[in-house]
Amino acid sequence: MLSSRSVVLAVSLLSVILAAGCSRANRTKKLDIVLVTKALDSEFWQRLKSGAEQAAREDPEVRLAVLAPEREINIDQQVAILEDQILKRVAALAVAPAGVAEIIPVLEKARAARIPVLIVDTDIPWPHRAGFVGIDNRLGGRMAAEFILRAIGGRGKVAVIRGVLGVATQEDRLAGFLDVVSKAPGVRFVGAQPANSERPLGMTVMENLLTRHPDLRAVFATNDQMALGAMEAIAARNLTGRIVLVGFDAGREAVRAVMEGRMDAVVAQFPERIGRRAVQEAIKAARGLPVERFVDIGTGLVTRENAHEFLR
Amino acid sequence: MNSEASWLARTLSGVLRRFGPLLALLLMCAALALLSEHFLTVDNLLNVFRQSAVNALLALGQLTVIITAGIDLSVGSLLGLCCVLAAMALKAGVPSAAAILIALGAGAALGALNGILFTKLRLPHPFIPTLGMMNVARGLALVLTGGFPISELPSSFRYWGAGTLAGVPMPVVVVLVFCLLFHLFLTRTTPGRDLYAIGGNRQAALLCGVPVDRRLILAYALSGLMAGAGAVILAGRMNSGFPLAGVGAELDSIAAVIIGGASFFGGVGTVLGTLVGALIMGVLRNGLNLLDVSAYWQTVVIGAVIVAAVWVDVVRQRAAQRSP
Repeated sequence: MLSSRSVVLAVSLLSVILAAGCSRANRTKKLDIVLVTKALDSEFWQRLKSGAEQAAREDPEVRLAVLAPEREINIDQQVAILEDQILKRVAALAVAPAGVAEIIPVLEKARAARIPVLIVDTDIPWPHRAGFVGIDNRLGGRMAAEFILRAIGGRGKVAVIRGVLGVATQEDRLAGFLDVVSKAPGVRFVGAQPANSERPLGMTVMENLLTRHPDLRAVFATNDQMALGAMEAIAARNLTGRIVLVGFDAGREAVRAVMEGRMDAVVAQFPERIGRRAVQEAIKAARGLPVERFVDIGTGLVTRENAHEFLR
Repeated sequence: MNSEASWLARTLSGVLRRFGPLLALLLMCAALALLSEHFLTVDNLLNVFRQSAVNALLALGQLTVIITAGIDLSVGSLLGLCCVLAAMALKAGVPSAAAILIALGAGAALGALNGILFTKLRLPHPFIPTLGMMNVARGLALVLTGGFPISELPSSFRYWGAGTLAGVPMPVVVVLVFCLLFHLFLTRTTPGRDLYAIGGNRQAALLCGVPVDRRLILAYALSGLMAGAGAVILAGRMNSGFPLAGVGAELDSIAAVIIGGASFFGGVGTVLGTLVGALIMGVLRNGLNLLDVSAYWQTVVIGAVIVAAVWVDVVRQRAAQRSP
């Protein structure tokens, strides 16, 4: 009895101590910068993190921590992480907000504690942010639409598979896509179906779209994971190459799919550059130096012709 | 084993059973205080309590159900649905007090429905109706909102999640009040004590004249009610009725109850233990956050603690069966 109860103690204590051991390593550094992302469960966030860490290594004074909730939908966990970091009076925060109204109250706490907050990846309407580092998602949506219009010769049915509703990046990509498509008279937009940025759901939604619209010509999936799921659904019906498929993010798997002709194009983000620039700007903010209001990292379009350049 | 030694062992195991989780919590706090200068500050301890509040409320409801040897998988989804219902009511111009009653009432009613499905339809295990409710409630929350969060709630509503009373955050006040109420209900009232009897031996309780079905329906209604209470706190704190709120929260609440020393076999469990269980999870997360440890390691740690806690329960059961 005694020994089993102490196992519980031992497990929890040991893990806390082990964890602390790791974090104690660089206590000598002074400038604490914390990057809080929406999650770390995809290539996109991992690459963003590695860019951030690279920027931190270039400045010997900086100590960087990259933290995130388990999943992008765990907004309350992101709030808790931010509260705890604000309490530590870190020098600056860089945040990829998982929500909008849900996150602003905790950002106000950071402001009250005089911690500068840089917004990363997903912009939010909070006037006190030190700056925003990310891409023009609306432009990315337009690029996808223009590629699709060329590929289908400006005629036929098109659909969108989109991520979580209410998130600015997702709304902007869709809005940009519709900017272009709504001006093309020969094209019929049959709707934007949500698939929560998840691959299995992307496949399911694509199957349903193909059943409902057998004459569908093109699909824009607003992230890679959904695009890769949709790609499997298209392949399962032997329609590869007959339906134009465009993704967003350009992770390695998607770029390889474009090279092999299983996907037609993918709008590229450069997450390492976003992470690197975010930390550089956060360092500036921490030192009280001026920060750019909007750092546009830029997007690219990966097609079969240039895909090899994106696989470094 | 001679009688004196077995008496000592029994007393010791009794003490550990009662205060083991609390002891674990205090030791963890001591360790974290040594590791981080930020841990043992009033601000941070209030942070921990506030961050644990929603889980603690759900766990109180989950406790009443687990005492009956049941389980409620729907509390996370009910939390999401009640968040959405309260936010929609507020947006429709309903006063804050009424919106709170809507969240509590909807939670309690759907919880009671869980109990009715389990007892009256004679479904084989509460796993089934609550699993069904978990999906139905989440689906309804998404249907009602079209997937969009409903944000910018009035400040009189937000007070319950974000305000303070005499310097103490409201979520903490609410948790303490509900803890007291649940403690009194479970230990001092006939219906509350009947729940232990049902969990200990349902047939025996029935033969003793306990209205088993009614008591079970009450237990599930209380669990739903706490999902509604958690929804008010969460929506107030987040300034938003978010249809995906509380995904996975049912598992956290079960974990808090089990870490707090309640038994999955039913008949055993206390409010104090459950509160401590929720705080252990909160302290682990907060401490690991302060030490800049990633969320993935936090889940590894919490998973290990859950398994260890249940293993203790199993060992205890076996020991109890062996002793005459």
